[in-house]
Amino acid sequence: MKAEETILRLKEAFPDIGDDLKSPSPLRVFTPFLEPKRFEEVLIYAKDKLDYYRGLHIVGTDEGENLGFTYLVSNADGVILAIREIVPKSNPHIRSMSDIYPAMLMHERELVDLFGAEIEGLPEGPSYPLPDGWPKGQYPMRKEWNPKYFNKMTMTYEPPEEKATDTATAANDNKDNAAKTAADEKSTAGGGASK
Amino acid sequence: MSEGLTIPIGPQHPSLKEPVSFLITLDGEVVKKAVIELGYNHRGLEKACESRTYIQDLYIIERVCGICSHAHSYAYCRCVEELAGLQTPRRAEYIRGIVGELERLHSHLLWLGVAGHEIGFDTLFMYTWRDRERVLDLLAEIGGNRVNYGINTIGGVRRDLDENICQHILDVMDGLEEQIKYYAELANTEATLIARLAGIGILTRDDVIKYGAVGPVARAAGIMDDVRIVEPYGVFTEIKVNGVTDDHADVYGRTVVRIKEMLESIRLIRLMVKEMPDGPISVRAPRRIPTGEIIIRVEAPRGEDVHYLRSNGTDKPDRVRVRAPSEANWHGMKHMLEGFHFADVPIIIAAIDPCYSCTDRAIMLRSDKGDTVTDWESLRRTGIERYKKMGIDPSKIRMRTSGV
Amino acid sequence: MKLLQKAIAWGRKKSPWIIHFNAGACNGCDIEVVDSLTPRFDLERLGIIQEGSPRHADILVCTGAVTLQTRDRLKQIYDQMSSPKFVIAVGTCACTGGIFDGCYCVMGGIDTVIPVDAYIPGCAVRPEAIIHTVETLLDSLEKKEKKAKKESKKQKRKNKIEDNTSTLSDTALPEKDVSYETHAVAAPGSDGNVKGSEQKA
Repeated sequence: MKAEETILRLKEAFPDIGDDLKSPSPLRVFTPFLEPKRFEEVLIYAKDKLDYYRGLHIVGTDEGENLGFTYLVSNADGVILAIREIVPKSNPHIRSMSDIYPAMLMHERELVDLFGAEIEGLPEGPSYPLPDGWPKGQYPMRKEWNPKYFNKMTMTYEPPEEKATDTATAANDNKDNAAKTAADEKSTAGGGASK
Repeated sequence: MSEGLTIPIGPQHPSLKEPVSFLITLDGEVVKKAVIELGYNHRGLEKACESRTYIQDLYIIERVCGICSHAHSYAYCRCVEELAGLQTPRRAEYIRGIVGELERLHSHLLWLGVAGHEIGFDTLFMYTWRDRERVLDLLAEIGGNRVNYGINTIGGVRRDLDENICQHILDVMDGLEEQIKYYAELANTEATLIARLAGIGILTRDDVIKYGAVGPVARAAGIMDDVRIVEPYGVFTEIKVNGVTDDHADVYGRTVVRIKEMLESIRLIRLMVKEMPDGPISVRAPRRIPTGEIIIRVEAPRGEDVHYLRSNGTDKPDRVRVRAPSEANWHGMKHMLEGFHFADVPIIIAAIDPCYSCTDRAIMLRSDKGDTVTDWESLRRTGIERYKKMGIDPSKIRMRTSGV
Repeated sequence: MKLLQKAIAWGRKKSPWIIHFNAGACNGCDIEVVDSLTPRFDLERLGIIQEGSPRHADILVCTGAVTLQTRDRLKQIYDQMSSPKFVIAVGTCACTGGIFDGCYCVMGGIDTVIPVDAYIPGCAVRPEAIIHTVETLLDSLEKKEKKAKKESKKQKRKNKIEDNTSTLSDTALPEKDVSYETHAVAAPGSDGNVKGSEQKA
């Protein structure tokens, strides 16, 4: 099934999301961010009715106040359908899709560790990928988490208390990055010219 | 209630060269349950990518894995190029294709050697790694380094191929082809090798789909999932790839698939060198990439490599996500191990060609009678001894010496 | 006993056994370490064998930036090795953390966890550099042994006390708070000079 047909069938089954479906390239279809319930319906529909039988990948993203989870599934024609879910950071409760797509199990565990998702129905198993002893409540992939404030010896997150310190650190970061970028651009130009 | 003997293997062992830990529960000598503990190589580089520029990230992404470094950097470059709307020159795509196929060659030769070592066939290990040196010399000539060749840049490639390098590539391909045809002959006719590899680590077609296995593991079960064919990219939009599948669905099938893929890679490299167009090797890339998101997949030596990139209009990416092929194969590993003999564990694990740093994993064994620790080397020897008693000893295979 | 100790020291020096541990590397340096065992580079002709168990090994060859998960295991392996033991950090990531320095799960180089005797920069390190480092390390140990023997003879003459000290057959290498020589070994053919530096661990 090609991308256009996928979009048509999804529009028929879920008219409320039909207008927001995107196909930026011939083999990609993106749904808009959906509420967990709707997301589950679309995913199950894609698996059962549209024959998107392969679970590929899950990308967790930080959407400011919310967390976005993009499930990538694909079919025999090489089309990747990205079904997206959004939950608030304060209550990141979703249902596990690993009974429908067993291949997603490891990726869901990553969402738990790195983004703090609470996934109901996730089978028991070792956490992945963070080390044992990682402090609870610390989710590295959230944008507000800064690796600079993580003390690796004591395994604790120690953010500075004054706002002034934050601005100073941010200003220094910008300077460092600008210097690095300038140096890199020079070396890239040099590398391209040499044989 | 007896749980069976569980033995910790790793995270340090000589064969696998990776910090890996498996938790295997035995019932007698048969694997009853396998739990895989991953996370040893988790470095946090996706977070690091968000605070570095696109060109800095290229060097990080390249080092996700040292064996399939070109595949990762190629996928990343394509992500950025498509978001920026860049059209890379045809010559650059051909060079990328050649390096990608050379990487596939060196990776499969590496695997063949490791598999030989796991089953006690060290002569094969030495032969294949010696052949691999010729490929690494070529890669060093093209890119400047034997590992992490860094040929990709955003917008094209960094170095061009001149007449001498092209001729050298063709000469090496001639020599390699003869050797690899010999390995194919060995795999087809050498009864000891077949007996050692066949019938173990089975992952059926249905299980491959269910657990999302990719690459030679999937192709050994008859599923054509080669991204170069399913979704042609770069040079493969102009040059057609003959996909390789097999029906054995076991470790032997994966061996056959890899050997045939090597022969196909040689054919592709020859064709690419012959057909390579003239022209520039790169276009200038902007520092700031327009807002957008993209999913790109390429065929790494181990299977399908999926990259997701989201940009926000600045010179740093918003989100970089890499799903390496080995990550997809791990889930099926439990099912490949369960029901098989303990002694076969090393070769079954090696057969998916795990790239731990792409995923990082670990194995441990536990026992209901108390913890017993054994190391990988002992486990490997157990396997070799067991098969020797059954009359199957690959170390006795006399390999033909060639002039290569 | 003296003869036996000498024989042990000679054996260790002439054919050190190495153990290889990946502390969180991308595999680039690891495959080059394994490569050095293959016919082109062939470490085994120098008497160097790769061992599986830390208890049988003299030299720990370590690659990769140490991640939070592997730091305890690295320490365990180092502790399990019997003295005298030496550590070689292979690759830029093992020396300083390399490109991953600053990542949230990376401690840094190997020396953040265990004392290192030799550093080999490179990404990835060529097998020639690894062989060169092992040989240099052994030579420097031989020199140290000779120096220690001379001094012990002087001491004996001075104090008239029987002393069987020899650096290679001694029970323990200097602990962390004693200075020992470390060598930063550049890959052959590079422009950098091989520098020896005294470091207080």
